[in-house]
Amino acid sequence: MSDNFEKNLRDHLHSEAQETREFPRRLRGRIRDGIAPRTRARMAPQLALAGALVLVAVAVLAFRNPTIINVVTTNIKQILQPSPSPTPQPFTCTDRSGGTIGISSQLSAIRTAPHDGYDRIVFDFTGQIPSYDLTRQDSATFVRDASGQPVTLDGGGGLKLIFRDTDLASGVPSDTTPALASVREIAQIGNFERVVSYGIGISSSQCVRVLELSGPSRLVVDVATSPSASTAAAPTPLPTAPAATDLGPFTCQDRGGGSSGSLAMQLTDVRVAHQPGYDRIVFEFAPQAGAVPRVPGYTLFRQASAQFVRDPSGQPVTMDGSYGLRVVFQQATGMTSYTKSRDLTPSLPVVQEVEQLGDFEAVLSWGAGLSRESCIRTLELSNPSRLVIDVQTP
Amino acid sequence: MDPTLGRVIDRWRAGDRDAFEEVMDRYGLQLLRTARLVLRDQALAEDAIQETFLKAWQRIGSLRDEDPGPWLTRIAMNESISAYRRRHRFQALTERFGRLGSAKRDVSSEARLDLAHALDQLTAEQRGAIALHYYQDLSVEETARILKVPVDTMKSRLKKALHRLRELTGSEEASA
Repeated sequence: MSDNFEKNLRDHLHSEAQETREFPRRLRGRIRDGIAPRTRARMAPQLALAGALVLVAVAVLAFRNPTIINVVTTNIKQILQPSPSPTPQPFTCTDRSGGTIGISSQLSAIRTAPHDGYDRIVFDFTGQIPSYDLTRQDSATFVRDASGQPVTLDGGGGLKLIFRDTDLASGVPSDTTPALASVREIAQIGNFERVVSYGIGISSSQCVRVLELSGPSRLVVDVATSPSASTAAAPTPLPTAPAATDLGPFTCQDRGGGSSGSLAMQLTDVRVAHQPGYDRIVFEFAPQAGAVPRVPGYTLFRQASAQFVRDPSGQPVTMDGSYGLRVVFQQATGMTSYTKSRDLTPSLPVVQEVEQLGDFEAVLSWGAGLSRESCIRTLELSNPSRLVIDVQTP
Repeated sequence: MDPTLGRVIDRWRAGDRDAFEEVMDRYGLQLLRTARLVLRDQALAEDAIQETFLKAWQRIGSLRDEDPGPWLTRIAMNESISAYRRRHRFQALTERFGRLGSAKRDVSSEARLDLAHALDQLTAEQRGAIALHYYQDLSVEETARILKVPVDTMKSRLKKALHRLRELTGSEEASA
């Protein structure tokens, strides 16, 4: 049924819409600020003032008690001492993500060195390791960010590394060609709005391992040098329950990881259990037909309450406990694949409740109510794909 | 999907803000106009579209290999309707439980309204349906899909909205 009234309505709506002639510049600016907060610049005066106050305080203390200088220098040395390297992990042929979402950092240096069985690339940061994505590709041709121009590096395969909320220190080379067995060229392919990206040309499609180290913060990318190392290491599944010494430290920070893909991973199981020293939550995934198994990209947030908000309804939900964890998976769903309880209440030392908070448009989120504030660690395991969240217990 | 747009989306997925702004250029104005038709207020519409793009930036992982237009429109409609409800909580209550007192205008005893004022009298959901169907020229099925309601519900919603607009403006019902 269409008549003059509907035509008039249509004309009226178009006429009313035309009153908004353009997308306002101020709105564009607000959105741009929302996705790229420049907190560092705003905080600079306050940080400078705080630094000056600390220097004055140290000077006064040193004047009144000279031994304080020894105490301060000893503590500074302890802080600056590099942390021991974690136990080496196997090389894998999957994309990787990690770092800390939302923090600002500065890339201060890029170093390369050959090692027995692999070439190492080290990205040094002032501050924490920012959020990053490492993706593998079958060629050494990349697309420059912003311009869209192709650039071909030396090598037969490639790695693309993107750092978010990152500035570049002066002196960081934009293109280096280390004479290494696997790593042929490292070139900056983007530096726009604090997203810095690098293309890494490698000799073929070798597997990699990624380590996040602290003191000073550095991201290490090891590229296997021989095809045998790649193929031997790639299919090696991590053990389901590795020895406690291999699991890495607990940290009291939000975490991110997993890898992206075009097809949503299917949640098949959620398990919760206590182990000596920690409560373990396991999210298990299966790929859709034709998709590559992976742990979907995720972010894990800690919070000082057990109150959550459901997605997308916005309804509040309060779980057992006083603290909480929220994990959000991108490109994941359990709508049809997960058939068990979506509200688990295990009687564990710290994890009191684990409940699904949302499963909408391939964004899957779960929350956990905790009895106390606890540090966490995450493990990404394969065969089957699992995200393991260990919550430290007293 | 247009291959050029596909490449822009891929760059957006990789965190490229430049690509994100290209998408904003492409869809922003139409989304803002649609939100304004629903919210009847420029400032509220801008807030809703700001939230829309911020959510889109965060949730790009949930966009499948498809044109982002309907996906963005769905987020924008959700934001607009939510914003309207927040702003007009009492009105939302009356819409849910039936209008109270004189909230519903007695058109038989008043001067007829023009279309702009008549649109003000609709619910946010009805205006969302009207904006998508008559302004964006989406089919009933597409409108239902974006607003996540069954097609029959959407047909009924559009019919009621049109009837209400006719009633408010004193227009004659077309013969079927």
